[in-house]
Amino acid sequence: MISLLPPSEKIIIEAGTPFIKQYGVNGISSLKAWWSQKVGISSYIVADLKTMDRGGSEVRATAMAGASATTCLGLAPIETIDEFIKKCEASNIDSMIDMMNITFPFEILQKLKKLPNIVVLHRGVDENNNKSKKIPHEQINRIKGAYGNILISIAGGETIRDVTRTFFNNADIAVVWRSFYENPKETARLAEEFLKSAR
Amino acid sequence: MILERRKKYLQVALNSTLGEAREIIFQLPISERILIEAGTPLLKIYGTEAISEIRAMTSDSTYIIADNKCADLGAREVEMMATAGANAATCLGVAPIETIDSFIDECKKFKIDSMIDMMNIENPLMILRKLKKIPDVVILHRGVDESEFKKEKQIPYYQIKQIKGSYNNILISVAGGDTIREVQRAIFNEANIVVVWKNFYRPSTETASLAEEFLKNIK
Repeated sequence: MISLLPPSEKIIIEAGTPFIKQYGVNGISSLKAWWSQKVGISSYIVADLKTMDRGGSEVRATAMAGASATTCLGLAPIETIDEFIKKCEASNIDSMIDMMNITFPFEILQKLKKLPNIVVLHRGVDENNNKSKKIPHEQINRIKGAYGNILISIAGGETIRDVTRTFFNNADIAVVWRSFYENPKETARLAEEFLKSAR
Repeated sequence: MILERRKKYLQVALNSTLGEAREIIFQLPISERILIEAGTPLLKIYGTEAISEIRAMTSDSTYIIADNKCADLGAREVEMMATAGANAATCLGVAPIETIDSFIDECKKFKIDSMIDMMNIENPLMILRKLKKIPDVVILHRGVDESEFKKEKQIPYYQIKQIKGSYNNILISVAGGDTIREVQRAIFNEANIVVVWKNFYRPSTETASLAEEFLKNIK
């Protein structure tokens, strides 16, 4: 997949949760090496850890493997999220809080000691088959209005139309995966279209 | 379900490195009542290799739990864990209901036990009621971070009877205990499985003796 993607700093590679559970931190290091080689600079890799407990130890392991950012579930105990954000700062990587299955991401953010760098808004993949559940675009401006510094990442989109809509709604990062998985060439094309249209 | 309803089990969680896992496994007494858990940190560091390595260190009959704490893509993770040799896998109770349902289905298909981890859930019964099928095991829990930073959060023993009262086929696993006293208290409160990890975190003579005490004192 990486060999098909156009080299650009604006393309972020994510080591997905199943990928990490399959290959461990070695998987992260490999992605980092391959993508950095292609882009020609130290590339940005997200480790989608979905931390639920032990905020500290998981962050350390992924940062050492070369990740630039890592994720924690918004559904985790507040103590875990606080510890996660603190450890991300200490390890110099970006903290991402994944708001999957949370109706009001706001309520979580209000309870935290410090804000994360990025909030991930989301339909789960399994949920996706339930068509009544939509990507919560209206949350973007609400969160940005209250917390100006937080970047918003939107996951769960699959087409260039989804991606365009995401940016139109003020998101900073759009996460795509399904078309990658089913058809890598289609994905490469999507990435190229993205580079052309989103600036 | 692979586990037996009338037996009491001790689950030893392995969380640091495979080297330490090996030392701990070799100190443990051999018994079908001692279950081995490939902990979440171990899985995230080594991937499914953690499970196959632990399988290689133990006998074929040893019951291995993959604590993958699935939050999405239920089916995919179950297949990975089962193929690597796990006898049970875990899914978060806070995950979308669609994920938990597909996780339980897939566990049945791969003939492994399904465990739902109720960490950070006030009322586990509310989750169980929404599911299409009930899981084999429910895990009640203090998170490690929670118990470290907030001493007043207790293991929710009263929930054991609540759940068993409504679903008598579900086994209850209580995680978060660290001493033989806590293990005894959990069993006294009708837990089927007690998960220990602190004493097992680093190899020590305490490791084997806690497991031996468990086998001797708890039948």
